[in-house]
Amino acid sequence: MADEQNAKKGWEATGEPIITDAVQKAIEKFGSKVIPYPNPAKEATIKVEKEDLYEVLNFLKKETGFDYLSDIASAHFPQNEKHLSLAYHLFSIEKKDSLRVKVEFNEEDLIPTVSSIWPAANWMEREAYDLMGVKFENHPNLKRILLPDDWEGHPLRKEYPLGGPQEEEIRSNRYGVPSLLPDDLESAKKIIEEGKNE
Amino acid sequence: MNNERPSYLREIFETKEIELNMGPQHPATHGVYRAILTLDGERIVGLNSVIGYLHRGIEKWAEYRTYKQATPIFDRLDYLSAVINCHGYVGAVEKLLGVEIPKKAEYIRVICDELQRLASHLIWLGTHALDIGAMSVLFYAIREREAVVDLLEAQLGQRLLNNAYPIGGVRFDFPKGWVEVCRKFLKVFKGKIDDYEELLTGNRIWRQRTIGVGYISREDAIAWGLSGPTLRASNVFFDVRKSIPYSAYPDFDFEIPLGQNGDVYDRYLCRIKEMRQSVRIIEQALDGMPEGELKAKVSPIIRPPVGEAYFTVEGSKGQLGFYIISDGKEKPYRVHIKSPSFINLQGLDVMSRHQLIADMVALIGSIDIVLGEVDR
Repeated sequence: MADEQNAKKGWEATGEPIITDAVQKAIEKFGSKVIPYPNPAKEATIKVEKEDLYEVLNFLKKETGFDYLSDIASAHFPQNEKHLSLAYHLFSIEKKDSLRVKVEFNEEDLIPTVSSIWPAANWMEREAYDLMGVKFENHPNLKRILLPDDWEGHPLRKEYPLGGPQEEEIRSNRYGVPSLLPDDLESAKKIIEEGKNE
Repeated sequence: MNNERPSYLREIFETKEIELNMGPQHPATHGVYRAILTLDGERIVGLNSVIGYLHRGIEKWAEYRTYKQATPIFDRLDYLSAVINCHGYVGAVEKLLGVEIPKKAEYIRVICDELQRLASHLIWLGTHALDIGAMSVLFYAIREREAVVDLLEAQLGQRLLNNAYPIGGVRFDFPKGWVEVCRKFLKVFKGKIDDYEELLTGNRIWRQRTIGVGYISREDAIAWGLSGPTLRASNVFFDVRKSIPYSAYPDFDFEIPLGQNGDVYDRYLCRIKEMRQSVRIIEQALDGMPEGELKAKVSPIIRPPVGEAYFTVEGSKGQLGFYIISDGKEKPYRVHIKSPSFINLQGLDVMSRHQLIADMVALIGSIDIVLGEVDR
């Protein structure tokens, strides 16, 4: 019973939450909207709701000096209650301070773009949209960036097979069985038998 | 005074913006990069970058391998500085595991990293100069790079994609006689950097082609997230080796060269000065090489604690970051790569505004992109 519950719940990060000055300031300003998040590698991490994301990031840029957006990374957790997550890695060039801001949400949710705070976010968000299917609100140019425009699906989602949608077809061709079998059963069986004899 | 043309002339000589395609099979784009330029006369007024021709899905692929099996694929990101890529990934796993790396291994890593930086900068120098029209520099740069690659081959077993480090340390100590050869090379190489500078730094044609071209301000450079020499040329002190110290870099005395003007010429100077600093670091590391173990004790099957880590190194192109999420199993749940070339290429839009079309080639060369890293 406990195992089943755990499997449903997924897994949670180990380690202790790290409280830096910037995290302290954010907590003072936003109260319980900002939650320190545990991290095994001793990196300061906070978690916010998607409604507060823009406000918190804007505050961190203006008031605590995180002028440099190092990275935006997306991840997919189909086992969790909220399926997608984004991690914003901020850095302050003056103070040499790092902070990660995490946000969790579902596939259909719209995430406010931060390309108006840091222009660098433009391509990072396009990448997250392209490979993970995160939808951003008010983004100046939300199009695919690494994959062709007519690509279907988002490859970094967990349900997407490693070899792409055509993976099964390629595998079946490799073992000599034609992938497109005729509709009637008799001729299909015949083709498979011939393939085996070869 | 009315400058407007008479209407009948306006109809004949009507000016309009045109689109010009550059790449993806253009020799000066350093790979399969396609730029769609919008031109007003000879000035660039818009740039639309088309990338992804070299996308191999490295991040997805890594999720299907164990931590150790995934190591060699990251060499293929920036194939001109494979050693540093490997350091980035391995460092991220070690950070997640909380392993302490022996001092000697860290020193060997620093030496190999800096040699790789020299090799990468030399390729950049040669091709960048070739793009602008100074052909002879390429031959000299490739000649010295060959010596660096030979040194790396003797130490790591491979010339280019050398799967340099295992998780937890390094594989080998230096082979017999390697240190002497390396010292000899560094001694000669310092003179060679002077030679390159003699060919280019004071060269009138070189200065005319590069000074004032592709300017980006300090504020813009930070806001657009540039990194590496491209950022430092705009007078921003951000080098991961100093700003977020990792490995054995705090032990060494070296400077971070900064530019003043943020143009193509300053980016060139920054990289040249960086090569001198790399030589300094290697010499100090060879002098102060500690004794001890080569590898920390790491269990054969790696299962890091549940959680995430973001580890960055100063790659030859800029800040190279690895973000790894572990679910406590033997395969990484998610690997995300912050690639400096990708972000720097984004800044090309700002740099190329109102530049002459003839300078576009100099500009692409100056941000030093490798398309394997842009597209992943």
